[in-house]
Amino acid sequence: MSNTPDTVLFFGHLHPLLVHLPIGLVVVVAFLELVARSTRFRNANANVGFILALTVPAAAAAAICGLLLSEAGGYQDKLLQWHKWSGLATALSCAVAGILYRLDLKKLYRMWLFPTMTLLVIAGHFGGSLTHGSDYFVRYAPGPLRRLLAGGSKPVVAPQTNRVEVAALPAFSGIVQPVLQQNCVSCHGPEKSKGGLRLDSLEAVVKGGKSGPVIVAGKSTESDLIKRIRLPLTDDDHMPPNGKPQPANDDLALLQWWIDSGAPTNANVGQLKPTPKIAQILAAKFGLPKPEEKSIDPKPLNEVLAQTANLMDDQNVAITPLSPKEPWLQCNASVAGTNFGDKELSKLAAIGPNLRWLDLGGTAITDAGLAQLSSMPNLTRLHLERTRISDGALSKIAPLRQLEYLNLYGTEITDAGLDELQAIPKLKQLYLWQTKVTPAAGKAFAEAHTDQDQLQRWQEEIQQLTAKIRDAHIAVDLGTMTPPVASTNATPVNAQCPVSGKPIDPTKTVFYEGKLIAFCCDDCKAEFQKDPKPYLAKLDSKPSEAVSK
Amino acid sequence: MQSFDSFLQHQTRRAFFKNTGLAAGRIALASLIFPQLFRANASPIKVSRGHPGLPGLPHFAPKARRLIYLFMNGAPSQIDLWDYKPNLSELFNSDLPDSIRSGQRLTTMTSGQKRFPVAPSIYKFAPHGNCGTMVSELLPHTAQVVDDLAVVRSVYTEAINHDPASTYILTGNQIPGKPSIGSWLSYGLGSEAENLPAFVVMTPRWSAKRDAQALYQRLWGAGFLPSQHQGVALRANGDPVLYINNPPGVDPSVRRTMLDGLAKLNQGTFQRFGDPEIQTRIAQYEMAFKMQTSIPELTNISNEPQSVLDLYGPEVKQPGTFAASALLARRLIERGVRVVQLLHREWDHHGDLPRDLPLQCRDVDQACKGLILDLKQRGLLDETLVVWGGEFGRTVYCQGELRRDNYGRDHHPRCFTMWMAGAGIKGGTVYGETDDFSYNIVRDPVHIRDINATILNLMGIDHNRLTYGFQGLDQKLTGTEAPAYPVKGIMA
Repeated sequence: MSNTPDTVLFFGHLHPLLVHLPIGLVVVVAFLELVARSTRFRNANANVGFILALTVPAAAAAAICGLLLSEAGGYQDKLLQWHKWSGLATALSCAVAGILYRLDLKKLYRMWLFPTMTLLVIAGHFGGSLTHGSDYFVRYAPGPLRRLLAGGSKPVVAPQTNRVEVAALPAFSGIVQPVLQQNCVSCHGPEKSKGGLRLDSLEAVVKGGKSGPVIVAGKSTESDLIKRIRLPLTDDDHMPPNGKPQPANDDLALLQWWIDSGAPTNANVGQLKPTPKIAQILAAKFGLPKPEEKSIDPKPLNEVLAQTANLMDDQNVAITPLSPKEPWLQCNASVAGTNFGDKELSKLAAIGPNLRWLDLGGTAITDAGLAQLSSMPNLTRLHLERTRISDGALSKIAPLRQLEYLNLYGTEITDAGLDELQAIPKLKQLYLWQTKVTPAAGKAFAEAHTDQDQLQRWQEEIQQLTAKIRDAHIAVDLGTMTPPVASTNATPVNAQCPVSGKPIDPTKTVFYEGKLIAFCCDDCKAEFQKDPKPYLAKLDSKPSEAVSK
Repeated sequence: MQSFDSFLQHQTRRAFFKNTGLAAGRIALASLIFPQLFRANASPIKVSRGHPGLPGLPHFAPKARRLIYLFMNGAPSQIDLWDYKPNLSELFNSDLPDSIRSGQRLTTMTSGQKRFPVAPSIYKFAPHGNCGTMVSELLPHTAQVVDDLAVVRSVYTEAINHDPASTYILTGNQIPGKPSIGSWLSYGLGSEAENLPAFVVMTPRWSAKRDAQALYQRLWGAGFLPSQHQGVALRANGDPVLYINNPPGVDPSVRRTMLDGLAKLNQGTFQRFGDPEIQTRIAQYEMAFKMQTSIPELTNISNEPQSVLDLYGPEVKQPGTFAASALLARRLIERGVRVVQLLHREWDHHGDLPRDLPLQCRDVDQACKGLILDLKQRGLLDETLVVWGGEFGRTVYCQGELRRDNYGRDHHPRCFTMWMAGAGIKGGTVYGETDDFSYNIVRDPVHIRDINATILNLMGIDHNRLTYGFQGLDQKLTGTEAPAYPVKGIMA
């Protein structure tokens, strides 16, 4: 590719643009001739000569551009030859049809359109296979048809499996290959191998492309494969190229995880010990049974309001809509205190799907009672502080997919329980004051729950922007400005009255030489103000510098 | 008389049926559209729990469930606390340029002065927190939580004296008679607490000179709203609520029987006259009965751990101090109280400012920090809005004799500083800017109406839609004279 002149490539890249024009025109010609055989539309072919006059040069131009594009290489050779010759044949066939028409050999000309159309379909199919992959056309065709047309292998798609089987999946062929297949192989595979790189097999991935290996085992951030994907979309080196579908963040995380785990060739998922984040992605990707996803839809607001009125009277809890436009409710049961327990919570199940905010702080709720949370899948804020719950409660909280705020302060939660909460995807705030959770475990939880890759990407973006800002500035140096220094508290500097020696009254003060001096009484203050000098030595603090000026 | 006669003449049989027919249709339509309007009257009056809010409120999902309003009555000096003006020290004792004052009216306390000499602050400022907001050395503790504060340096008002200005910012009008912000919130959002009022007020004592501006009950009054929405003031000294304990020889069951009987009588009167104030009265008797147990429980802080008490500072154990009140404020909102307002007096430093301001700051500084940190560790700061500020600012020029180490400042409505923290607030922000003399606002002015609109907005209320018909006008907290806008720049 590198030794092909740019002009050749420029015209070569016009091929996909130009090629559809003669295709359309030929189809129109054939269609008009066909229709004209009926007496009702016998004049349909009146202008066919004009269309043919357009078709022939268009076909020629498309063919020439196609030849130039084939120079660029990177396509599967056999398929390319087939497309090339069938394409040239089609163009030639168009020209022959044009000549026959011109010579007024109308009958022959009409017959000639049949082989032309056949050639067109053949050439078009090969062209499509070159661009989209040879199995593109039949990938999702019904089984027998697919076998008939392509003898095709079954496409690689993420298998439907359960938790046990995910652990047993081979890391490369089960996790990584589908990602590459979906995002990369159309250009780096058997049909096209741009940059000499193929990503359709483990050996090929390890081997790399013309410019060397694309993965560095154990270091995803140094692997070209990852670096290129994570470049800004506008960067020329970004992969997949701008405009092509981009890999999902989760898929990228899986790739990185595999490389960071040392890019093993024959390990399975379980052996690589997925982090909670990866486990979560895998769970989402492989369609694990997700009881938490049952997402009971809330009832309309006016329907639940009647229920809330009864609940409020029975249980002394406050239930109010969050806004009149949405069905969501907030419920404050903490005002009922220990009068509110498991039994009362179970009654809230009737409005469970509508609850958005639930305050159970200081209630008599227990671990067992929190099983009712399964009827409240839409909770975003949950207060459980100052209750008797322990680690056992957390498995009931973990399925709350919408939860953003969780208050557990003053409970018996320990480090061990925290792991359960890793699975809550939207959690933003977690309060653990006065629990048995250690600071180290809290910090580790926060780090594990944060999308570190996203943070790193943002850090890189910040650096790039900082550099841009720096470049946009003119440096004008006016010397350094020293910021004012923080100083002492504005309480009196002395504890004893400098005049009488008695304890001070803080309301009897005088500012003198920048210090706040306090006295025991107004008389001593007046005494001092008359002539401060004799008393200065008695101050039990060193004089500090003047405050103003 | 003539118009009454003509009214009678128009009341023909035909007109009567037409009107009643239409009215019946209207009622039927309304009952279909707003069923909640009719439910309230159909069910017997419930006094057992906190009163509900208005139907349709909150207007949108709120950020804050509760409000703690720390009101510094008397007007703290923004120049000495928040509005850092480093260049002023060079202008010590120079005359305030006329172009700055530009003929603005002054109070009679300084309008007779021959000169208006610039009095720079003698206090040092330093950047604090990650945000680097400049804070005076008088507020060393508040400075530690400045990353949680949105400091608005460009608040302004029209009132120039304490009483109208306090009435203005707390009730939305300089003329007495309007409901206070806490009453509006109680009216609109209702009460969640069963045993405590929705709106509680405390008036902690202060350290500086003994005389201070008076407070008026109207600052937490309900105005034309039903009077159950007025703030209940806890006293700073002695019993927090007077006469709440049963007299000697009266046990709770006797009191209960008496109240039940009284409620029955009142209920009968209500059914005859339909005056909503009778309902208020029934509710207040009930509330007082409940507060017989809830208030002692509230004020008993013996189970607060020492680490929490330490946050608020050494005065937290002395009832009636600002620190003790701040701790009570937290305990109140934990118990479902909607609005707690602390009114700390004597920030009116016309003279001897360097003597009094440090004492006032020491009263509130550590307690403000303690309140924010305590709310934060309990996960309550996410749901609680904390507001700090006075009724106006103070002048850059000196009132009375100007010395290097002593000066006073007069009232200044054209700019002052408030801060907000907590639910929905973008911490670490500084909003608005004043000129070099902290006299006029040069960027992002915020009228006190806008402050009130912001508070309502964070509580989930569109200030234009929380209205109450009175004297032929749909009254609202932000007034009807000029538009008000929530300050988006300090919202997260």
